[in-house]
Amino acid sequence: MDERPVSLTLKLMALTMFVFLLAPLIVVVPISFSGDSYMMFPPSSWSLKWYPAIFADGKMTSAFWTSLLLAFVVTTLSLLIGLPAAYALVRLKPRGSEAMSALFTAPLLLPTIVLGLAILIVFSRYGLLATFQGLVAAHLVVTLPYAIRVLATALATLPIPIEEAAATLGASPFTVFRRITLPMMKSGLIGTTALCFLVSFDEVVLSLFMTGPRISTLPVAMYHHVEQQADPLVASLSVLLVILTLLVVLVVDRTSGLAKTFVK
Amino acid sequence: MSAAAAIAPPAPVSEARRSGLALVVLLIAPIALINALGFLVPVLNLARMSFYEVEPTGAMREVYTLATWLTVFKDTFYAELILNSITVSLGITLLTLVCSYPIALYLHRSSGTWRTILLVLVISPLLTSAVVRTYGWIAILSDSGLVNNALSAIGIAPLRLMFNKTGVVIGLTEILMPYMILALLAGFGRLDPRIEEAASTLGAPPFTIFRRIILPLTLPGIALGCLLCFVLAVSSFITPKLLGGGRVFLLATEIYDQAIVTLNWPLAATLSILVLVIFGGALVLYTRALRAIM
Amino acid sequence: MTDRITAPAAGQAGEGFLSLKGLTKSYGGFAAVDNLDLEVPKGELVAFLGPSGCGKTTSLRMIAGLVPATSGRIVVGGQDLTEVPTHRRDMGLVFQSYALFPHMSVARNVAFGLEMRKVGKDEIAQRVKEAIALVHLSGKEEHRPSQLSGGQQQRVALARALVVRPSILLLDEPLSNLDAKLRDEMRNEIRDIQKRLGITAIFVTHDQVEALTMCDKVVVMNQGRLEQVGTPVDLYETPKTAFVAGFVGRSNRLKATARDGVAEFAGESFAAQAGLSGPVEIMVRPHRVVLSAAGADATAGDHRVSGIVARTIFAGDILQYDVDVAGQIVSVELATRGGETVLQPGAAVTLSWRRQDVFVYGTAA
Repeated sequence: MDERPVSLTLKLMALTMFVFLLAPLIVVVPISFSGDSYMMFPPSSWSLKWYPAIFADGKMTSAFWTSLLLAFVVTTLSLLIGLPAAYALVRLKPRGSEAMSALFTAPLLLPTIVLGLAILIVFSRYGLLATFQGLVAAHLVVTLPYAIRVLATALATLPIPIEEAAATLGASPFTVFRRITLPMMKSGLIGTTALCFLVSFDEVVLSLFMTGPRISTLPVAMYHHVEQQADPLVASLSVLLVILTLLVVLVVDRTSGLAKTFVK
Repeated sequence: MSAAAAIAPPAPVSEARRSGLALVVLLIAPIALINALGFLVPVLNLARMSFYEVEPTGAMREVYTLATWLTVFKDTFYAELILNSITVSLGITLLTLVCSYPIALYLHRSSGTWRTILLVLVISPLLTSAVVRTYGWIAILSDSGLVNNALSAIGIAPLRLMFNKTGVVIGLTEILMPYMILALLAGFGRLDPRIEEAASTLGAPPFTIFRRIILPLTLPGIALGCLLCFVLAVSSFITPKLLGGGRVFLLATEIYDQAIVTLNWPLAATLSILVLVIFGGALVLYTRALRAIM
Repeated sequence: MTDRITAPAAGQAGEGFLSLKGLTKSYGGFAAVDNLDLEVPKGELVAFLGPSGCGKTTSLRMIAGLVPATSGRIVVGGQDLTEVPTHRRDMGLVFQSYALFPHMSVARNVAFGLEMRKVGKDEIAQRVKEAIALVHLSGKEEHRPSQLSGGQQQRVALARALVVRPSILLLDEPLSNLDAKLRDEMRNEIRDIQKRLGITAIFVTHDQVEALTMCDKVVVMNQGRLEQVGTPVDLYETPKTAFVAGFVGRSNRLKATARDGVAEFAGESFAAQAGLSGPVEIMVRPHRVVLSAAGADATAGDHRVSGIVARTIFAGDILQYDVDVAGQIVSVELATRGGETVLQPGAAVTLSWRRQDVFVYGTAA
């Protein structure tokens, strides 16, 4: 790292920009304690009523449970599908493995609005719109590229002699994978889990195309709510979501290093 | 076993390779299936869809025609839409760069726990739903929001900051900043403090060091960040929709409206492909710029 | 499990415990190891010595089963292991990078091989304790590898390989990541442990000092081929090829031309292989050359050439003269005793040496 003293000008500029960057997240906190029935800042009175209001709103609570279950299923499937694929591409190196990696991560390059439309058109034909299975499939299209990228990096950076050492000590290939490879990939697995969970839980554009009156996810429900009325309900919900996100980030940082997981 | 192994000829290589291939196919099949059903087929189908015919009633027929493409090219509404999307996105990209650069440079120069804390602050917004952050901007920019209440407190007439381009630009700039910061940080790897010290001992004042040393060395990071932010700005949809309030017309919002509200899928497909063409153009410019810098 | 190799049978007299028969590894058309034949008797420590890329590590990895052989056989104690997968070969391998399991404690690392062999809990505990004591790491059982120094990690790797009582111990450049002082220490320790356990061991190294000082036999390899197998004394005193002469110990290599088995250099004739003609190299070790002032009566030596001192290098225990003889440099090393006059560049000298210290190799392609 650079040990040069940071000039005051740079400090002030960085501080200003940090305030700008965090302003929308900070501002929702006081609003969530508003006593007003519509959104204004600063609130004219204070209360805690918007927190219980979340749980009284049937649409929000059912959307929350849908999102949570969806993120859980999508994350589990991403690991179950992504890990074997990453192992095959990195370790077994079949012919054309680089082209396959490119193809499997390509959905990330496509804007979600285009991907959403494309999936909408095809899924409508098979009755997958506004179904849980449809949502799972659509989310997998965007979480799998993340999973395969993080897991492939984790696998590629594992020193192979350690696995060879286990083999010379009598461990069969499957035992090597279970007792050596998998434990050493721990940070990559945690990173993948966190990333897939957050991507699925926060995903809104794809879900907008895939949801309907029958089924909705939390971000979609929030979007429609904000579109119609901007009351402090979304603020209190946002505070809870920010806390949830911070918790995930902290867990990842504690277990595998934040910079390693997200910056690379 | 030993006696048998001693005389058994070595297994033919092709057999080993075949069993290896079977394993690879088995491991890759699930992701290939998802990729085909959720990506390849839909995208190819989208390209085909843009040539379908739309009857005046709005019904779609599987008859190939260039009608939609011709409409998009002839109707000045779409030309304006495309131009508007590009200029607004370019403006947002530039603003994002200006706002992100100080943070990235400061982050690059910090270390230890402090750096981790700052990094968490940069990444957290990225992991927070765009809906939440846009909602925050509504609280700041709306008529009864932070800025206008502060202005009226000191006796200045309220400003119209939402449901227009200004709101969209402010909101998207903030939303895209984490991407830009991370891209810049990745590019700052080439910054060696000793180079700056060398320039300093040669008599360069701080601003000259920035202009002649730091800026040129960080150009690749800048180029990458700009590409990323431009591409994300062109295709972003939640923020323009909520902060633009249906009064700011951009490609992405139009695609959504055509797909969900008007149900004119061929038109939505055509506009989607235009977005991809703009992406391609940005990528070409980026590669050229990168070659010029390096 | 029945085909796991246990209790290796003693090799018959005259035949190796480990035999490699025509062992070959080729990548495309390139032979990394070319038709290697070798017999290693039980209980010997054998070095595979050669420059990087000579095929010594590839040979070791084929013996361990980590790289499939293209052709040839690997036989240990009468059992053909060529097609046996690594985890059933019952060998111990110590890696250059140690390759300790970073997520396990020292004790768990050492216990791993025993767990794979389904050894009982109590016995594992006992044998792990003994193995850790053997490498002087008692008290570090619960440390993670990352908490140990390089030398300590190397000891753990050694204990982990030895605790399973492997039929053969394979060591892949085990000392190259250690600093000089530790390397000397570990060299003696590995040698002592190997002798005490009477285990057959292969030691891959590019360092001739390691190979000569530690091993019973040295296998010199170059470009995938075996150049010479012999005791350290054999290799030093009677190198069979120009490569061995140049790689093991320091030597002067003088270019000359031979006709009908006689090489000419600086007016002196040297016996070469009978009938050899064409370009040759004359090899003589610097400390076997006797130097005397020109004109002085040089009685020692069968060969005698004269030259001019081009450079004088005083290194404390050794005084080295680079002498220009007929346009080529001959280095001469003298052990210093104190009080000798140091010749300056330009001094005319006579060099002489014995017939048995000279080797002549044909260098024609």
